[in-house]
Amino acid sequence: KRDAEASGLGIDEAIAVHKKPRAPNVKLDEHRLLSDNGIPKLRKKAGELKFKGKGHEFSDTKQLLDLYQFWLDDLFPKGKFLDSLAMIEKTGHKSRVISARLNWINELKPKATQDSDE
Amino acid sequence: MESSEGTSDIVHPEVRAHINSLVSALGGFSAEDDGRYVMGDSALEVLRDIKKWIRFYDEKTNRMDVARCLADANLVDGDLLHILASWPQNATDNRFKARAALACFEIMVPLTWPLERNHEEMTVNHHRHMPVLQLAQVAYKRSIINFDAAQILHTAVRVALPSMALPRNNRTPRDEGIIKLVLLFLRNMAMISPPPNVQYDGDESHISRSALIDAFSFQDILLTILTLASNMGEDFNHEGVIVMEIIFHLVKRVDVSKLFMDEKQLGKTNANELTSLMNKEAAMHRPHNRKAPTRHNRFGAMVWVQRGDGKMSTISGQDALLDAATRKQKMDDSKTYRPPRRARKDMEPKDLGPVVSLNARARQQLRGFVEEFLDSGFNPLFLNVRKKLDDGKEYVFGYHYQQFFYLVAWFLEAQRARTKATKSSQVAGGDDVGSYNLVATVLNQEMFITLNRSMSTSLEGKNWQELCAAMRCFTQILLTVQDMSESGNEDDEEIAENILSRIFYEEETHDRVANIARNYKDQGFEYLDSCTELAHTYLRILEAYAKQNVDMQVRSRRRIRRKKAAKAAVADDANPAADDESENDQASAERTTKERKFDFSRFAARFIPQGVIDTFVKFTKYYQDLNDAQLKRAHRFFYRVAFKQNMSVMLYRADIIHLFYSMIKGQQPLDKGCGMYKEWEELVKQVLKKCIRKVEERPALIIEMLFSKINATAHYLEYGYEKQTIAKS
Repeated sequence: KRDAEASGLGIDEAIAVHKKPRAPNVKLDEHRLLSDNGIPKLRKKAGELKFKGKGHEFSDTKQLLDLYQFWLDDLFPKGKFLDSLAMIEKTGHKSRVISARLNWINELKPKATQDSDE
Repeated sequence: MESSEGTSDIVHPEVRAHINSLVSALGGFSAEDDGRYVMGDSALEVLRDIKKWIRFYDEKTNRMDVARCLADANLVDGDLLHILASWPQNATDNRFKARAALACFEIMVPLTWPLERNHEEMTVNHHRHMPVLQLAQVAYKRSIINFDAAQILHTAVRVALPSMALPRNNRTPRDEGIIKLVLLFLRNMAMISPPPNVQYDGDESHISRSALIDAFSFQDILLTILTLASNMGEDFNHEGVIVMEIIFHLVKRVDVSKLFMDEKQLGKTNANELTSLMNKEAAMHRPHNRKAPTRHNRFGAMVWVQRGDGKMSTISGQDALLDAATRKQKMDDSKTYRPPRRARKDMEPKDLGPVVSLNARARQQLRGFVEEFLDSGFNPLFLNVRKKLDDGKEYVFGYHYQQFFYLVAWFLEAQRARTKATKSSQVAGGDDVGSYNLVATVLNQEMFITLNRSMSTSLEGKNWQELCAAMRCFTQILLTVQDMSESGNEDDEEIAENILSRIFYEEETHDRVANIARNYKDQGFEYLDSCTELAHTYLRILEAYAKQNVDMQVRSRRRIRRKKAAKAAVADDANPAADDESENDQASAERTTKERKFDFSRFAARFIPQGVIDTFVKFTKYYQDLNDAQLKRAHRFFYRVAFKQNMSVMLYRADIIHLFYSMIKGQQPLDKGCGMYKEWEELVKQVLKKCIRKVEERPALIIEMLFSKINATAHYLEYGYEKQTIAKS
């Protein structure tokens, strides 16, 4: 019965249904973290940081936290600060990130060892 | 009740008809002699029939139809209580009335039986009837406790009295059954409470804990419980577990520290509490008031924030003009994305119900009960129950372990509070009150075996509630022993010394405490509180003890691989045929327990890993709701990590620094009037100072602050050299 009615209206042809793939969720994962906008940028920005030192513990800390917050806002705009920090902490257990972290530490090490040798 | 026509009834109409005819045959208020209740001609048989209906219809087929019909027919309030009232004190010998009274309790016990939602056995009927029955039970409790014409609870004890008076070996199974029935009735009365997440629409004060304690005290139930408890193991044996249940439901969630204050102190603390709460509220409002908009909400200010690299962000609202912190906060708050995670849990433990506040009279009565119980009933009752738990008797259920540990912890705390109260009131007063003999049964070796076993099984079985109670119990035992060692009494000090040496002899216990603290994950605030409390107390007492006894030994299970390898090599050379035998030797050698010297610094190093730090950080996140003792606990822990063990690197993580910063200078800081504020401020300041210095010293820390540190890197960051190189050389 339904067929007969439908054919009269010309809507009986099968319509190819394309399921449009959903846009993937943007994630704060190790790829994003290790990209140019990630840690490398943070290192560059950290170089510009100037601390006042003794007696200004709280204002210095605020500077430090501001640095992280603005950097994270650029890197992963939709996440809140504390949420993003937790997500980054999680990526820290991935082997890729661990090796990158060791590299960063080692880059700074030779100087230290030379100093101590001399 | 619905009429039989019209909408169909939820229970079978025939069942309802049967029940209704039985209830009306039971008796009624007579029109003559000024409306007294008169029992029906065959009331006893009717009572027996109702009992049969409950047993053979409800319980056998796992329905709740009869219970529902009985609740609708107002059986308890309308008939049973009046039947019980017609058995006055002076007619105790009346056998007919006594039998009727017993039959009433035989019906009331199943009707007031706690309803459990256990999802495997629930049927459609359970879902249908349970909400109604829960409310009906609350109504039963209200009418039983507040019944004016007679003391129903007292009548219950009278029913059991002839059986209780018999010596234990002369009692028949029927006598035992009657005693048990009456005790279960009392248990049910103590246990019933309005179901959670339902607004109780009657007068709370009729069913509150205060009303219950008042009724128990007025009708001499507390005396009965005391008698039973102090004769446990002699005249009574199997009843111990039920008596414990009654006491548990009587004292659960009662604040011990308030119980032993006198009126003046209590009034003062309550007033202090009120002022501190009001101050807290004012402090909460203050930042809000200061930052509240001064113009109407459509005033429409808009602000650009310059953020380097030529980039701008826009924020609207005039509060954005206030200061940078508010702007940052606003930028963060406007984000709506939430990472997937589990729902946050309440701070309140669900299984124990809300905190209880008692009125002055109930407090006085409960205090009297607790003191007498400590003096006479504590040792016999808990000795008896512990034995029953150890034997795993068939009437011991899983929740009894939790209740046992909860009660032991509660009464130990009460005993300590009492000793303190008497000490402050009279300097060199009575020795009997402060004596630790009163609680000796929970300080012996068997108790520790039970406690340790329960802790390890509940940890393995992920039974967090039981583990939580066991941890609290362990903490209280430690504190009691510590009090003992400072009591000034030589005997007590010697005993305390022995107990401590036994507690700290097993390295397994050290491992367990550290592991529990390390592996916290989503078990709720109650668990978090008790595991941090245990870790704190344990560390502190062990430290003091290790200082006193420099050459302390512990028994550890450690593998002796190297020895085994050497031995195997020797065995191979000497006698290849004896390989089999030596294999067994090795296996046992591998499992041998070895004694070794205890090293406190090595032990304390177990509380350094990231897991433990995270646990304490999660605990500190509740800083606005923590009391002084709890804040102190967290403070001492972080102080130990940062300054005693020189591993402040573990605290240099952006979220921890953020937490510390916001506790002192954030949008919602710790209340300045709070007692711990000064100490926390100092600690945070020192940690931040060290942190900034470290960041300047080692730029790599800027990145490492985002992550949990690996041990090796942590050591490098702290000291500037690798630990491994030392270990190798």
